[in-house]
This record gives sequence, structure tokens and C-alpha cells, in this order.
Amino acid sequence: MLPNLFVVCFLQAEVEETLKRIQSQKGVQGIIVVNSEGIPIKSTVDNSTTVQYAGLMHSFIMKARSTVRDIDPQNDLTFLRIRSKKNEIMIAPGKSPSASGFQASC
Amino acid sequence: MFGDSAARGADVESLWRRDQGTRCEAKSCQTGEISTVEAAVQSHSSRDAGMQTDQSEETIQNLDLQKEVPVDYAGLLSFLQGVEDVVIKELNKNWRSHAFDGFEVNWVDQNETVSCLHSLSYPEAQDQKLQVTSISWNVTGSVVACSYGRLDDGDWSTEKSYVCTWNLDRRGLNPKRPDLVVDVPSSVMCLAFHPSQPSLIVGGLYSGEVLIWDTSRIEDPLIWRTGMTDDTHTDPVYQVDWLQDSKHSHHFQILSVSTDGKILVWQTQRDGQLTLVEGFALVAQQIPRSMKLKKRTRGETAVGVTSLSFSCFDPSVFIIGVEGGYSLKCSTAVETAAVPRTGSSVTLKAPAQFAFSPHGGPVYCVSCSPFHRQVMGRLNLFLSGGTDGHIHLHSMLQAQPLISLQLSKKYLFSVRWSPVRPLVFAAATGEGEVQLFDFGKSSQKPAVSIKQASAQTPVYCIEFNFKQPQLLAAGDASGMLKIWQLSSDFIQQGPREMNHLEQLANEVTD
Repeated sequence: MLPNLFVVCFLQAEVEETLKRIQSQKGVQGIIVVNSEGIPIKSTVDNSTTVQYAGLMHSFIMKARSTVRDIDPQNDLTFLRIRSKKNEIMIAPGKSPSASGFQASC
Repeated sequence: MFGDSAARGADVESLWRRDQGTRCEAKSCQTGEISTVEAAVQSHSSRDAGMQTDQSEETIQNLDLQKEVPVDYAGLLSFLQGVEDVVIKELNKNWRSHAFDGFEVNWVDQNETVSCLHSLSYPEAQDQKLQVTSISWNVTGSVVACSYGRLDDGDWSTEKSYVCTWNLDRRGLNPKRPDLVVDVPSSVMCLAFHPSQPSLIVGGLYSGEVLIWDTSRIEDPLIWRTGMTDDTHTDPVYQVDWLQDSKHSHHFQILSVSTDGKILVWQTQRDGQLTLVEGFALVAQQIPRSMKLKKRTRGETAVGVTSLSFSCFDPSVFIIGVEGGYSLKCSTAVETAAVPRTGSSVTLKAPAQFAFSPHGGPVYCVSCSPFHRQVMGRLNLFLSGGTDGHIHLHSMLQAQPLISLQLSKKYLFSVRWSPVRPLVFAAATGEGEVQLFDFGKSSQKPAVSIKQASAQTPVYCIEFNFKQPQLLAAGDASGMLKIWQLSSDFIQQGPREMNHLEQLANEVTD
């Protein structure tokens, strides 16, 4: 029992460390990690913002990915950036969870 | 030989009598055939309109999302490790890149000029040579109300005045006929619409009273009044506002500010009366001595308050402008009682905490910036304008102004920050102009100078429309209320405005 628990704690700490490293980059306002169904699993911002972003981004990411693959089936989406007047949303998709962060534009 | 035998009787069947069985045929009916058709069903169809149970269970589920969704930490870690480098590289590229410098996208049609949409007036008020003393937009942004009175008179005027409202979205808007005219027995000095109910409006009078009208009642719009009690102001009320009750967020109280040195908070009662619940009084000896007052005034002299502005991020902090020419930072959360004055049912408190350096004349208007600092902390900037024609941009952290500009050779009557552009404010001058200043363009002269009236007719009040930020209402001494439509560069926030504003705020000298 004990070794399993230990491994989970270790992994969780590593995850937190990684998120902290990204969050400490210049201008990062927050990070949200969502799984393939669009459900947020980790977030550094408050719940209502997390839920809002996760809900809105999910279909957008799917649409972007299908657009890329429709144009060229051998291609795939690697990174997505939405730039607005006040800030920028950056989305890094991947197998299983997909991380999206938003950064204030300078 | 002979024997007995019984002979059976003989049965002869009747030929004519038989079982009276029923045998009938329908030949014809006397009643006609009734035609029927289904017209209606009595059972009703229902639809769920609402539930009484709270929706909190759903949000609690969302809150527990991180615990409910089984997080595969190993998978998550491997994903994050793969993605981390890419993300950090992109983030670094982003803040170093100049690719988007000066890149702006216009989603709406650009309007290059400032134009006057409407010139509203009430002929009877103009005949009496009344001036527009105050303007207020209602919460929906479609109704503008103005009050008439006199700002240049010194005596106790008992002439009637008016409060007029126009609905700008109504077709057939007649600029000379207001939708509603309320007769008021004394000059109305200030107005404020309720922040959430579109028909309630409060006004402060020259006589010191505070009245509340409901514009949806045509018969008798007056619903609450303070009356002339011991608690009422003894001087004209120069500003009124609605205060959200901290305990019950849908209850509002009314705040009134007057040159008798008192800031009073009123509560509406059922009988149409406004009663005093809280109050603040300013006396000369309780003003913080962060700057020297030139004249030695008697300690108990009341300090006349002419304007007030609540800080947008901290509801207990407010800035007031006084007749003495300086602004004060005050707080509602004080406990010290004001120097005792008789005749008030509620103990008045002394709210002043910090004094800012003075203008050369009475301060007529103060306005706190509604923009928050983006990343952390709060912006604590406010503007004050007075009869010396200067505006001072103050940070609440220091007494000296950050910027001091002379906008006019005459008085400045009103100063308002723009609701959408953090660097823009508008000022109403005694020379009949409304000046729009943009700290981003030039810090010496106004970006746009709107000529409302002749040079002898001061503009007394201006108000931005928060729901339609391209509209600016300005009222002047000739009794005209003009609605100006601003050009597009005053409506949209630029990309680096907040940074610029933060830089201004950070110029606080130690």
C-alpha cells in the first residue's frame, strides 16, 4: 500500500512543479489543463474562469484540429494561439490532457 | 281383459301464438345524426418553469472536479513534460516579439468626428432662465434626466424648478418636450439614477432636502423625502448617490453631501420618509494635518463638502472635495465621533484620513478612476478639478499631485473619467467647452475640445453613458442639454493603455 501512495505523491509534486515553472514565465496569467473530453483537471485560476475557458475552448480546439487534418490528413495541430486586444490564449494539445495557458499581451 | 293406461295428451301447437321474442329492425330515427368532433382536451400540458431547490449541488460538483475525475498523474506528468518546453519557448518568443506592435484591428465602423446628436431643452425652464445643474443616465443607458436650478445665485432661492427626463431610444423624440417633467419647489442641485432599477431617481435640493422620484408613476412621482427635520442638511445638497448596503446587497441607501460639512446616509422607510442611519461630519480641527492650512480657522468650523467620489475597488474608501480647495481621503469604517454637534439623531463620525495638496480655489468635482490594475493590486488614481481652472491627477498614496494641468482660465465644474478608456477624461469648463483629455496622446493640451455654448455660458455638468460609451451628455447655463456622440478613438481601449496608466500611477515620488 505504502509504495503506491508514495509514487502518487511524487508524481503529483512533479506535476505541480512543472505547472509552477510555466506559471512563473513572464506575463502568464493562468494555466488550465483539460483532458480529452474537455473537463478541466488542473488549474491555477478560480473555478468559474476555469470552467468558462474549458467549455469554450474545447469545441474550438476540436474545430481547429479537424480543419488542419481536413486540409492535409497527414498533418496535425501542434499549437494554437488566440490573440486578442487584452491578452493571448495559447493552447498546447497532445495525447490525453491538453494544456492551455493565457498570457497578458505586452 | 281391461287394463289401465294413460294416454298421452295430444299437443297441438298454436299456429298464431309464439314466443314473444323481440325482433326489431331499425327503420328510421327521429333524431338527426349528431356530428361530433374533438375540440379540446381538459388535461393541461405543463413545462418546468423553475425549481426551488438551489443549484448549488452542481457547482459543488464542479468544485470537486479535481477530486472526482480520477487524475492519472503518471500520464499527466508525461504529457506536461512533453509540452512544457514547447510552451515555455512560445511564451518567451511572445513577450520578445515585436510582430504585433502597433497592430490594431477595427471591428466596427470608425467614426472620425464628434457630433451633437440631440439638443434637449425644456422651454419653460429656459424662460425662467434656469440652468442645467445636474445630469444622470439611467441604468439601461436609454434615459437621460437633467435637473434645472441655479448655480450662480447666492441667496435662498425658493423658485420652482424642474427635473426632466428624455428617453433617447424612443421614436418621435421631441427635443423640446421631455417625456416626464417633475415640478420641484426648490432648485435641484444634483441627481442620480438608481444603479439597478431604471425608474428611481434621487435628487438633492437647494433647501437641503433629498427627494426620490419614481419616473414610472405619472401621477405623483415623488415617493420618498427627507422633509425638513433636525437631521436634514442646512445647506444646499451638492451631490447625491446610491450606496449599496453591505449586508443586503439588493438594498440601497442614499448618500447626500452638502456644504454644511455633513455627509449623510439615508434609509427609505415605508411611510415615504427618508430617515438618517449614518452620517459623517467634517470640522476643521479634525482634518489631518498632512499639509499646513494657511488660515487659522476655529476648530469647530464646518468644512463645506462640494463633491464626493467612491473608490471603485474599495467601497469603504471615498474622496471628497471641499470648499477649502483640497481633497480628502475618507473612510466609512471610522469610529471616531465628530466634534459634538447637537440636533442630530445619529452620532456623526469624522471620516477624514488623509489630506491632499490644495487647489487655488474650491474643489467642485472629484472622480476616482474606475480601472483596476491588471495583474495585482489596485489603481488608486483620482482627478480633482476646481475654480482655479486646474485639474490635479492624484494618487491616493501621496499628497502632491502626479500631474497638474490648467485646462481653463475660468472655473472647472465637472470632471469625469471615461468608462472605457483608462487614459481619457472629460472636463466641463466655464468657457462653454467640454474638453476631452487623453494622457496617451498629449499631456499638455486636450485631444478634443467640444464647443457647447458661447464663452460666457459655462458648462456645468457632464456624464458619460456607461451602456453606450460613445454618448456624452453635457448641460450648460443656458438650459440646454446636449448629447454628444464621440469619435471611435474614444470608445475603444488601446492595447497598451492599462500599462501606460500603471506607469502614471507608479510615478509616486518617495
